Amino acid sequence: MPEDRGMTRRKAMGLGAAALGSVAAYDILAGPARALASTGPGATSGIGYFARFGVTEKLIQATLGEALSSGGDFADVFFQHQVANTYLLEDGAVNRAFADVKLGVGVRVVKGDQTGYGFTEDLTPEGLRLAAKTAAAIATGPSRPAPARFHATGELPSRYAVKTRWEDVRPEAKLPLLRSVNEKAMGADPRLRKVRVYFVDESGAMLLADSNGQIVEDLQPMTTMGLTCIAEQDGRREENFHNVAARDDISYYSPDRVDRMVRECVKNTMILFEATPAPAGEMPVVLAAGSSGILLHEAIGHGMEADFNRKNVSIYSDKIGKPVAKPFVNIVDEGTQEHARGAINVDDEGTVAGKTMLVQDGVLTTYLHDKISAKHYGVAPTGSGRRESYQHAPMPRMRSTYMLPGPHKKDEIIASVKKGLYCTRFTNGQVQIGAGDFTFYVKNGFLIEDGKLTRPIKDVNIIGNGPKVLELVDMVSDDLAIDEGGWTCGKNGQSVPVSQGLPTVRVASITVGGSTSKS
Amino acid sequence: MSTSQTDVREIARAAMKSALAKGAKEAAATFSRSRNVSLEWRDGKVEKINEATTRGLTLQLYVDGRYSQVSSSDLRPEALDTFIADSISMTRVLSEDPFRSLPDPALYEGRASVDLQLEDPAYPTVTPDQRRKAAQQMEEAARAVKGAESILSVSTGFDDTRTESFRVASNGFEGTRVDTVFFVSASVSVKDADGRRPEDYSFGGSRFLGEVPAVSEVGRQAAERAISRLGAKKPPSAVMTLVIDNRAAGRLMGALGGPLSGASLQQKRSFLEGKLGQAVGSPLLDVVDDPLIPRAFGSRLYDGEGLAARKRPVFEKGVLRSYYIDTYYGKKLKMAPTSGGVSNLAWTLGAKPQAAILKDVGEGILVTSFLGGNSNGTTGDYSFGVQGFRVRGGERAEPVGEMNIAGNMLELLKKLTAVGNDPWPYSSMRTPTLVFEGVQLAGV
Repeated sequence: MPEDRGMTRRKAMGLGAAALGSVAAYDILAGPARALASTGPGATSGIGYFARFGVTEKLIQATLGEALSSGGDFADVFFQHQVANTYLLEDGAVNRAFADVKLGVGVRVVKGDQTGYGFTEDLTPEGLRLAAKTAAAIATGPSRPAPARFHATGELPSRYAVKTRWEDVRPEAKLPLLRSVNEKAMGADPRLRKVRVYFVDESGAMLLADSNGQIVEDLQPMTTMGLTCIAEQDGRREENFHNVAARDDISYYSPDRVDRMVRECVKNTMILFEATPAPAGEMPVVLAAGSSGILLHEAIGHGMEADFNRKNVSIYSDKIGKPVAKPFVNIVDEGTQEHARGAINVDDEGTVAGKTMLVQDGVLTTYLHDKISAKHYGVAPTGSGRRESYQHAPMPRMRSTYMLPGPHKKDEIIASVKKGLYCTRFTNGQVQIGAGDFTFYVKNGFLIEDGKLTRPIKDVNIIGNGPKVLELVDMVSDDLAIDEGGWTCGKNGQSVPVSQGLPTVRVASITVGGSTSKS
Repeated sequence: MSTSQTDVREIARAAMKSALAKGAKEAAATFSRSRNVSLEWRDGKVEKINEATTRGLTLQLYVDGRYSQVSSSDLRPEALDTFIADSISMTRVLSEDPFRSLPDPALYEGRASVDLQLEDPAYPTVTPDQRRKAAQQMEEAARAVKGAESILSVSTGFDDTRTESFRVASNGFEGTRVDTVFFVSASVSVKDADGRRPEDYSFGGSRFLGEVPAVSEVGRQAAERAISRLGAKKPPSAVMTLVIDNRAAGRLMGALGGPLSGASLQQKRSFLEGKLGQAVGSPLLDVVDDPLIPRAFGSRLYDGEGLAARKRPVFEKGVLRSYYIDTYYGKKLKMAPTSGGVSNLAWTLGAKPQAAILKDVGEGILVTSFLGGNSNGTTGDYSFGVQGFRVRGGERAEPVGEMNIAGNMLELLKKLTAVGNDPWPYSSMRTPTLVFEGVQLAGV
């Protein structure tokens, strides 16, 4: 949904808006031009894919030499090629398509914790030289030499190898997928008035080389398919949405997965006709397993990104090593889940992405680091340095954020609530990193009355404070599910794909932004 | 890198011709190039400088009754040639769509012959030192306010952009646009007694460097706003009068953008469907879409499709007067195209500033910013996180936060009981302070 324009402009410009993070389920409003990708054997060392654009070690060396010409401590160069195709089915026909190609390179120079950044679409030696010269201006001092040789750092993983690369799939092979979703949905319920289906395939490639001589390439496929159902009953209309996403090929769209997506969307649309307005005020809230991981993304994930902490502006800035939750709460952010939307082999600084414990046995453990913050804190980077594209410098970002299973059972958790809410589907969330206040918008849920799910509710925002809410997580089930929706995280005007998950969790008390009084 | 404006035109024309030669029946091309410099400053030194000139080409292709829109930043001639050919092949396999065409050329006509004053000729004269000094002065002003000892960190920024674009369509449209924009911003974090680190910001900008607000004011306001958040508490749930600050109110109007669009109407997902000519808000809701305001951020002589921009009432004394209809959905809906998107919103203003409005309201909540939430464009239901201040005895009182407002947009618009005289100048929404009575607020 649109945000107020003034704010959007500020965010787009990355101006001083340090302290807002957000996540949304649906990024197509931002245009068809998101990420793109091709596929291969995993991250590799050396120049393979980018040789076709005339990229050589000599060119990189000259670029890094120019980047370090004014005394920067460190420099890196990030090449990107992305091809994205989007198809849209509306009113029964796949009647429009969008394609977007991004080719460009960004040069970063770091001096202490200061950053100079330049980028260009012109991959000629002169284009690269100018971008490097621009970035170099952050520093003043004697020049440093560029590395004479480039090498890989350690073993490189392969988390999203595919059989068929998207650039080898003809459009004709994709269109039947959209049409089958439309037919299945329209046949599912006579109350459906409109069904819209969109499909995105992305072939992305990146090459990162830096002044320490590291060089790595990664091919990053991505695909998303989603549908919107608009239904009418007794003159009233309701709408809902469902999507799935993965770093995978066309085989991802198994009949089972497509059927499940359609079934969920139709069901979650029709139940809205039975929904009653949610109550307003504080009450216990139970979050269903899966996409409820949005709670972690907002309540703690952004606040654990080390740039906010390095700047001393996160509510978690002084909490490392301190208990922040019950001992059975363990929270992870990682890039290793095979084919997950939030998976990465290496981050956009070339660091292998591993598994990071944010909270272990209830104690705040590790921030999410890029190279700048890792150096600041004297720790190893966590492989969290990500960027939207070659037009942006990297910063610490989440990948896939979830809570490990806990000691309780789902039924026991629901039965424990006398009067509260059970939330199953979400559209978007946002957080103020410093104050810790966060929100997430519940599209579908149920009232819990005397330990049982009763009436459905819809369209209600929930608002809480991160550390307070973590303390109030007092039951965690054993049923962890990682959501496969197409979540996109926004921070300082940069969007990156993420995953999230949660077991069934109870928050003892949180403010529900309903439209009717509580009692 | 150093292409002249002539090149901008030639690249677009050549791409359109290439598309036609490769089999497109009609085509349009837009080429744009933008130079942006962004300086971020934090706690006494430069944090980051980002500077680049970027470019992009977008084509709309109409092939055998089928449609696609494609874009690329890879402008190497052989790559572009292949890209256009592949795009046309891709378009051929889609379903035919009888509603797709370029706009009626008659709607290109009548472009206003006014100078919108969107480009500052002084743009190239801005120096790195100027940006740095502005950023530094904002920090100094922020740190000079009363209560500055609670400040944890000050981030400021200076951002300037010059964009030139050229659009050409095969049925006779050509348009050139050059604009500049300069923004300054400051953001201040403070430490609260309970460990929270509230942050707030201030910003301002202009198309002309000389009209950018005083940086000392921006810095001071950011610090005062942040300090004013100290000790914020969650209020009790209640039905209250809401005064929405002019800077924040754009968020509400943003929630109307989707439902006012032709796409939403045609897809049966707008709560404003069938309401043209009906009262949907209080008589104080009186808003014109005005693309021709000199120097404004949403001003334009033609829209994204090339339709000549015209002033058009959206809400007139609460009555819905027009939707945003583009060529495609206009054909599907059998409605005349207006424009595909919002330009500037010009409000009929009230007579009073916010302080006087608070006096009139007496008791309520002043909302200074929104946090998350969403609205359902199909039903009009909304639920938004908000923060701000209690209003007591006609004055701004203690800070409140971690609260939420909810209801239905149609009901809310009818509860509009006062409009300020203070349109927010740094957004194309240009919202004044707005007052709504009887809104459900959720807190404790």
